[in-house]
Amino acid sequence: MEILLSVWEFFQNNILTKPAFFIGFIVFAGYALLGKKWYECLAGFIKGTVGYMILNVASGGLVGNFRPVLAGLKDRFELSAAVIDPYFGQAAAQASVENIGRSFSMMMMVLLIAFTMNILLVLFRKYTKIRTLFITGHVMVQQSSTALWLVLFCFPGLQDPQVVVMLGILLGTYWAVASNLTVEPVAKLTEGGGFATGHQQMFGIFLVSKIAKKIGDPKNSLENLKLPGFLSIFNENMVATGVLMTIFFGTIITILGPDLMHQIDKGFGAKQNFGFYILEKSLNFAVYLTILQLGVRTFVSELTNSFQGISEKLLPGSVPAVDCAATYGFGHPNAVTFGFLFGAFGQFLAIMGLIVFDSPILIISGFVPLFFDNATFAVFANRLGGIRAAAIIPFCSGIIQVLGGGFAAYHFTTGNFGGWHGNFDWDAVWPFIGVIMENLQYIGVAAVVLILLAIPQIIYRMNKDTYFVIAEDFDKYKEIMAKKQGVPVDQVVID
Amino acid sequence: MAASEDKGECINMLKVIAACGSGMGSSQIIKMKLEKVFKKLGYQAEIYHTNVGDAKSQANNYDVVFCSESLVGTFNGTRATVIGLKNLLSEAEMTEKIEAANLPK
Repeated sequence: MEILLSVWEFFQNNILTKPAFFIGFIVFAGYALLGKKWYECLAGFIKGTVGYMILNVASGGLVGNFRPVLAGLKDRFELSAAVIDPYFGQAAAQASVENIGRSFSMMMMVLLIAFTMNILLVLFRKYTKIRTLFITGHVMVQQSSTALWLVLFCFPGLQDPQVVVMLGILLGTYWAVASNLTVEPVAKLTEGGGFATGHQQMFGIFLVSKIAKKIGDPKNSLENLKLPGFLSIFNENMVATGVLMTIFFGTIITILGPDLMHQIDKGFGAKQNFGFYILEKSLNFAVYLTILQLGVRTFVSELTNSFQGISEKLLPGSVPAVDCAATYGFGHPNAVTFGFLFGAFGQFLAIMGLIVFDSPILIISGFVPLFFDNATFAVFANRLGGIRAAAIIPFCSGIIQVLGGGFAAYHFTTGNFGGWHGNFDWDAVWPFIGVIMENLQYIGVAAVVLILLAIPQIIYRMNKDTYFVIAEDFDKYKEIMAKKQGVPVDQVVID
Repeated sequence: MAASEDKGECINMLKVIAACGSGMGSSQIIKMKLEKVFKKLGYQAEIYHTNVGDAKSQANNYDVVFCSESLVGTFNGTRATVIGLKNLLSEAEMTEKIEAANLPK
């Protein structure tokens, strides 16, 4: 017994609470279970572990690079600041978790339990009405991180096992329910493309599919529009982040001034030109983001591979919920740029609002929510409500992202480490879930899970005859709709 | 020893790279679907996935680049065959386009 206990203790101290080895161990175990050869298991272990270590270097760098700017803002204006971006959010969540002395390994366990929860909900779809399995690995990592911090913030005394089980159930339910909401909009956009969206703005997509046609006319589509060519540079993450960060941090650091920066940042050399210091500081964010993405990509590709395998083996007929960018091919390329542009207008306006109204927190636009959420919204909006909807909706989304993100970063204190998740659902849905958990505690968690589970039931009851057909056989769905509308199949209106 | 058995004496290993904006989600999906499709079509293929910037700088080391249709323009001037996809998850579309591109087996 004693030996067993000390073995467990060794495992707990060296693997379970060390996220890098824990991830490596999971990949190793997964591959071993899949019957892969020993050297493939070993390679998986190394990639998982090294991937996480790379991520660790990058999130440390990201937070560290931000620290002098945060200190300067605090010193001069009593302000805190946060970049609303899932990578910054993940780094800030990790820093918050570790700051109170808890192990970030829990993030990985939350992810696995939540994924299992999603599988169970699909397995029992006869009762749950859940059709989708969320398999976007990097997003699962980011959301597990932020949600882990939310739960630790709301339940500071809760022990690790309870934390991961409770959050696993909550997050898994969100993944299943929210991605399930995108089945109809995505199937209609892609004419039965065979997938749903499993990303960071799923409630947003559902909302857009409901309101876009009320805002504009699809006949006035943005396909005839000529957009300026320079916008194409934003196709590349590194460039886009570099530009955005230089604009924002350039402005902030210029206002703080060289004297203050010399005092608080040892990295600012005595002979260095202020302009080049700003440029270096700003571009450093692009450096750490690129490294962070490399780390995530390295260990997540191991995970996603097995998720995909599971979904095909275990759950035939279920719809994979994947990255939102998979929908872009079905919208006009202009829609993507247009959404990004109007989202940026909305965000910039809201940020100015924060400054004018003396908000205690300053929000800095991150590339991922700005681009991926708003581009996605524009693709869906353009199909149903044309150019008007594709402009107004991303614009409003930009405002919501800043206000919701600002509230969350301030209230849930990740602003202390300079970040918040920042994607639409995490600005518009999760802050509410956080506040409910904080005030109603366990009753709040139970209420949120029950409300979420009720959503697919309601939608099912509204379209009983087509609910499963639309996901499984789009041609048959069109036939049913044509019969309902009393027109031949080629004239059927799907909106 | 086991390793060489696995790969066999392959004459032509197709080097493939899948690319998307951030190199995280979509390119991974393309990669997973491609693995199945190439196998079905009888190709030996090594498939990697990454972001567009990275893929652009390495494209000449690969035989084929797969990306979303809207990103095809990024790869102007590379020696590799560039294949743009509309539906990143459609095995039918991939099969059709691979066959049309007449890649060496």
